[in-house]
Amino acid sequence: MRNVKTIETDVLVIGGGGAGFRAAIEAREKECNVLMISKGPLARCGATPMAGADYTLDGKSMSKIEGLTGDPNDSAEKVFNDIVTQGCYLNNQKLVEQYIKRAPQCLKELMDWGLKVKLSDERMIFTTGTGMMNVLLRKAKSVGVDLLEDVAVLELLTHENSVVGALGLNVLTGEFIHFRCKAIVMATGGWHKAFWPNTGMRDLSGEGIAMAHRAGADIGNMEFITFCCNTFYAPPMWRGSIAPYIISLICGGRLTNNRGEDVLKGYDSFLVEKGTLTEWNKSFLSFVTAKQARDGKVFANGGLHYTRGDASWEMMELVASMVFPNWKYKALDLTEWGRMLQENEPVEVGHAVEFFEGGIVINDQFETAVAGLYAAGECALGTFGANRVFAAITEIFTQGADAGNNAGEYAHNRQSADLDLSALKELKEKALQPLTVSKGERPAELRKRVQRKSQRYLGPIRNRDELETFLDYLEDIKVSVLPKLSTTNDSRTYNKEWMDALELPNMIQLLESSVRSALMRTESRGVHYREDFPDTDNDNWLQEIIVKHDTATFQLNQRPLTITSMSPPTGVTPYLDFMKQMMEAHSDTGGKH
Amino acid sequence: MTDEKIKVNVFRYDPAVDQEPYYQTYNVPWEPGMSAMTALDYIYNHLDGTLAYYDHAGCDLGICSQCTGKINGKSGLFCQTAVKEEITLEPRKKERVLKDLITQRAESSK
Repeated sequence: MRNVKTIETDVLVIGGGGAGFRAAIEAREKECNVLMISKGPLARCGATPMAGADYTLDGKSMSKIEGLTGDPNDSAEKVFNDIVTQGCYLNNQKLVEQYIKRAPQCLKELMDWGLKVKLSDERMIFTTGTGMMNVLLRKAKSVGVDLLEDVAVLELLTHENSVVGALGLNVLTGEFIHFRCKAIVMATGGWHKAFWPNTGMRDLSGEGIAMAHRAGADIGNMEFITFCCNTFYAPPMWRGSIAPYIISLICGGRLTNNRGEDVLKGYDSFLVEKGTLTEWNKSFLSFVTAKQARDGKVFANGGLHYTRGDASWEMMELVASMVFPNWKYKALDLTEWGRMLQENEPVEVGHAVEFFEGGIVINDQFETAVAGLYAAGECALGTFGANRVFAAITEIFTQGADAGNNAGEYAHNRQSADLDLSALKELKEKALQPLTVSKGERPAELRKRVQRKSQRYLGPIRNRDELETFLDYLEDIKVSVLPKLSTTNDSRTYNKEWMDALELPNMIQLLESSVRSALMRTESRGVHYREDFPDTDNDNWLQEIIVKHDTATFQLNQRPLTITSMSPPTGVTPYLDFMKQMMEAHSDTGGKH
Repeated sequence: MTDEKIKVNVFRYDPAVDQEPYYQTYNVPWEPGMSAMTALDYIYNHLDGTLAYYDHAGCDLGICSQCTGKINGKSGLFCQTAVKEEITLEPRKKERVLKDLITQRAESSK
């Protein structure tokens, strides 16, 4: 085997989105050497650059920051009430408190570092994801964070349940890299790539959650998956863009099915109002769209028609001029869509996977069950419970900062351990296997098949039969297809098939834990709707589902909620009625959150 | 998707194996609103798994700019360049090719 480079650092941050950058910057404050690994281009991968992007905080704190709006009558208590009711009470209330407390400080820091705010409302500031990433990249460089791009981490290395390093792969050259470190912050975001279409970058294949799970960390609430509504389904060049979501959230518009019916007709008017003009739209409208699809009332690409309807063209033009001036966002040119909106011509839109509420189990210090392993941001479980309405962008900063701080403190007075070279050799041989297997399964075909099935069976609406069908499929893949994945040739230089073959087992692992959790949760809540259990069951299901990783199988257990000040309700309530109750429980602060 | 197919000519070069670069032509189904990236994805998924183009972390929505290349000789993003007829796709700098449409980065920004 070729000579492999070993890189030593104190804190290794895995993931080059907002949470990774923020953690790296903070860990550096602890006089540690910090290396942040980005799977794609620096500051242009992960979900953060794709975000709109809104940052939410309590309006009162915002109103004290010069130049920002913010409702002075808002309060931390009101925000807490809103996040917990939006999460249908499954939130880890300690993490909600941390989010609220740290949000104003983290925003001020970002503005000090040069972040420009485009506009703000009662409790949200709007900026761009790329703008945030530029600020973070500049700051990380200025404080001396070491940065590596186009490197995928394949596995964590532990010794006596403590992290000691990781195995990486330079995606461009195909060379392995050994990492030796004292602490690791996992900040790898979601696993969007297991679904199609999705709103995320193509790098989000969930390996961070999967490898933490294999290393001994628990994962939880994997059944809760948020789909963004009203994303473009066609044309291909716009597919996955959230532009129609943004316009419809602010301006409204009309959604019709292939029979010309208004799909919101017949739903409770309050539910429709809050479920279209606030960020409850993700759960409510994605549920509605999925139902239309199951009833066969969708167009060629599986979506609905979105038109301007009765909404004002002037308002749409105004919003577009602020969010994507001249109907352009970076190189995405939506001029033609502007014309179509004005003339009330339809575009096909639908739900696309956007956010994962579940993830790596952490405590309020962002520690996992593995010593020295921390997690922050979307890959971690807790803040948003069963449904996220408040901004995930805020969480990457509040959690990234504290996880980075704690990892830095942990690493500061510790000696690094030796790497187990024989374990590394085994891992490398396993990773190289797809290059040597001949006449096996094509990774690209398997990925496409899995993505289609995920969209169908693990969408906003589920039932037992479909989940069991999908589970059988996944188990079969695990046993009979994954070991046979093979690349066309054995080139290690930018071999896309090899990357697919390395990513797929992680996606299958997370899909299986998600499907098993969705089967176990015999109720409907938040973004998880079971046709065969259509009620929200507060008598039996105010529980998290925790998935433990055994060598060959998963063990699922219920875990009591982490509650600080807000007691959950009791009783059994039909899904949409409970959703409406949660909307009604909102505080008197306005805005989209 | 229509029945119509278009020719997509792609610059191929693996310095480890090939004496010199060559062009390979693929027949790709045409659909309205498709981009050069749609065509590359189709080739990779259905016709040729060895084709290298930057997508392990691409965004496909004109934001990350990693898919910059030449389309019929003109610089642009593969993901946001519409394709309507036969096209030729080449890397941004042929002298810096790592493999096919992937070019080496300038010294890593460490």
